[in-house]
Amino acid sequence: MRINEHPVLGGYPKGEAVAFTFDGARLSGYAGEPVAMALKAAGVFIHRYTRKNHSPRGIFCAIGRCTDCVMIVNGRPNVRTCITPLAADMDVRTQYGMGAKHAAL
Amino acid sequence: MQRCDLIVIGAGPAGLSAAVEAARQGMRVTVYDENARPGGQLFKQIHKFFGSREHKAKIRGIRIGEELLQEASAAGVQVELDAVVTGIFADKEVTVRQGERMLRRKADTLIIATGASENMTSFENWTLPGVIGAGAAQTMMNLHGVRPGEKILMLGSGNVGLVVGFQLLQAGCQVVAVADALPGIGGYGVHAAKLARCGVPFYTAHTIVRAEGVERVTGAVIGAIDQNWHIVPDSEKHFDVDTICLAVGLSPMSRLCGLAGCVMEDNPQKAGLVPVVDALGETSVPGIFAAGDVSGIEEASSAMIEGRIAGLAAAHRMGFMASSALDARLAELTGALASLRAGMFAPGSKGKVFTHTAEGCALSASLLRRGFVADEEIDRYPGVTRARGVHPVLECTQNIPCNPCADACPRQCITVGADGGTITALPVFDAARGCTGCGLCVAACSGQAIFLVDEEAGEITLPYEFLPLPQKGEQGMALGRDGQPVCPAEVVAVRTSAAFDKTNLLTIRVPAEYAGRARFYRKER
Repeated sequence: MRINEHPVLGGYPKGEAVAFTFDGARLSGYAGEPVAMALKAAGVFIHRYTRKNHSPRGIFCAIGRCTDCVMIVNGRPNVRTCITPLAADMDVRTQYGMGAKHAAL
Repeated sequence: MQRCDLIVIGAGPAGLSAAVEAARQGMRVTVYDENARPGGQLFKQIHKFFGSREHKAKIRGIRIGEELLQEASAAGVQVELDAVVTGIFADKEVTVRQGERMLRRKADTLIIATGASENMTSFENWTLPGVIGAGAAQTMMNLHGVRPGEKILMLGSGNVGLVVGFQLLQAGCQVVAVADALPGIGGYGVHAAKLARCGVPFYTAHTIVRAEGVERVTGAVIGAIDQNWHIVPDSEKHFDVDTICLAVGLSPMSRLCGLAGCVMEDNPQKAGLVPVVDALGETSVPGIFAAGDVSGIEEASSAMIEGRIAGLAAAHRMGFMASSALDARLAELTGALASLRAGMFAPGSKGKVFTHTAEGCALSASLLRRGFVADEEIDRYPGVTRARGVHPVLECTQNIPCNPCADACPRQCITVGADGGTITALPVFDAARGCTGCGLCVAACSGQAIFLVDEEAGEITLPYEFLPLPQKGEQGMALGRDGQPVCPAEVVAVRTSAAFDKTNLLTIRVPAEYAGRARFYRKER
């Protein structure tokens, strides 16, 4: 999913490669890029399931406006992953309804 | 409470331009923006802008953004990021949420430049992961270097859909189709033509029926619509896609204007609820201005001019600028704005149906419906001529505000709107001046609609912004305006130059009889 070389932009300035976890699995991304981009590059597309219908949601606007991409980041729910910079050892989890899986209604 | 002379809300093209002009007049200016980076959408706009030299035509949006940031910094503008303006109160007091803190700030004047948000449209399964806004696609690929998907359906053929569609190709994605519910392509024909010659099909008078998939998008179904906007039975068409991109318009983000007590109007020509403003951008509340998309959806180029006007007006209002100085600047800026707001796609032309260009050429029906000018239509346009030796063929067929081609030619071979005409005129080539084949016009054309053609030699030089770059001597296939194979072709030259700004010039050789039809190249499969 990563673009290595772009005909107009060339390369992309990136932070250092860091490891983080997604639902406990170890993934890697670049420090400072949005968490959602690191997930996308790693092939993760479901960020959360809705509370009533348990239907999947992913990235929609990618600029922090729509809140479709919220997840549990470092234990905190409802974090807009498209505008939250990735940091080393971040704990990112799929959100179910308003929180973690066991709390889903 | 901290005070300054002017608070600008939004650090996009309009807001930054406003801040720069006001600060240059001596105002203490603070700009608040909710994002982590300033520049609004400019840093996602990797295409060359339209307009004329005064509008920074043929410069890519990203460079214009860099220039604006440098100007702002040189002018002493203070830009506060991650700063959401949450309220506007009496006497131009605002509240700002920055990180975990709420700040109270006050100024003598306010400029609201909050821009626009994307519209969406709902259909069966539209909430599935993989249905994204066109803006999201731009953010992912142009800011972060991540492809939004591999196979993509673009919904909407306005300039956003067309420009982002092309950018998706540049990022290495496959665009399976562009669909639009309207009977004609909404954006510039030249943008559509770039996609069409790469083989992207257009489906006008079609809309999306459903997204397919359980956990994510695995396909899309579109269908033809009749005059009553119902799906025509048995017209459904399926595409295997992993991403559906919505480019169905923008709406002004004008809520802060309403909150500030500005008189608002719902104006379809401005694409939604907007503050009522005067020629300087001042709202009904004295000292509160609005500039850019928040007061009516247009292009970034006009947003920047509106911003400059509002910034100067704010400076004049607070006594930082004499009336005579303001008038002089306004004359220049309003002229520049008027020239951008001319032509077939101008805000004032919304809803009008054009059948001919201002020159009297019948518009291409094929371009409007299928995204490319048909071979039998192309000769009717004044820029499409035959001449001995190499010469430009200007496949510019609609009146849009743009003239970098005329500016680029060192021998003044190309004219746009001669004798004081407008920059929306179709370009004309004067063979008597002697084209040298330098290619500057090809690279300068923001619509990539200029080709150097030598009919006798069967050589065509075309703009090429993809990777990998073909190699000289390579054998491949020439494609027509419709993206279909025309004949075998050999790459005889590949030119890159700083002056071309990433638009490479590819020269292919084809049998002479195909010189009028071959307009793109792909390596033979």
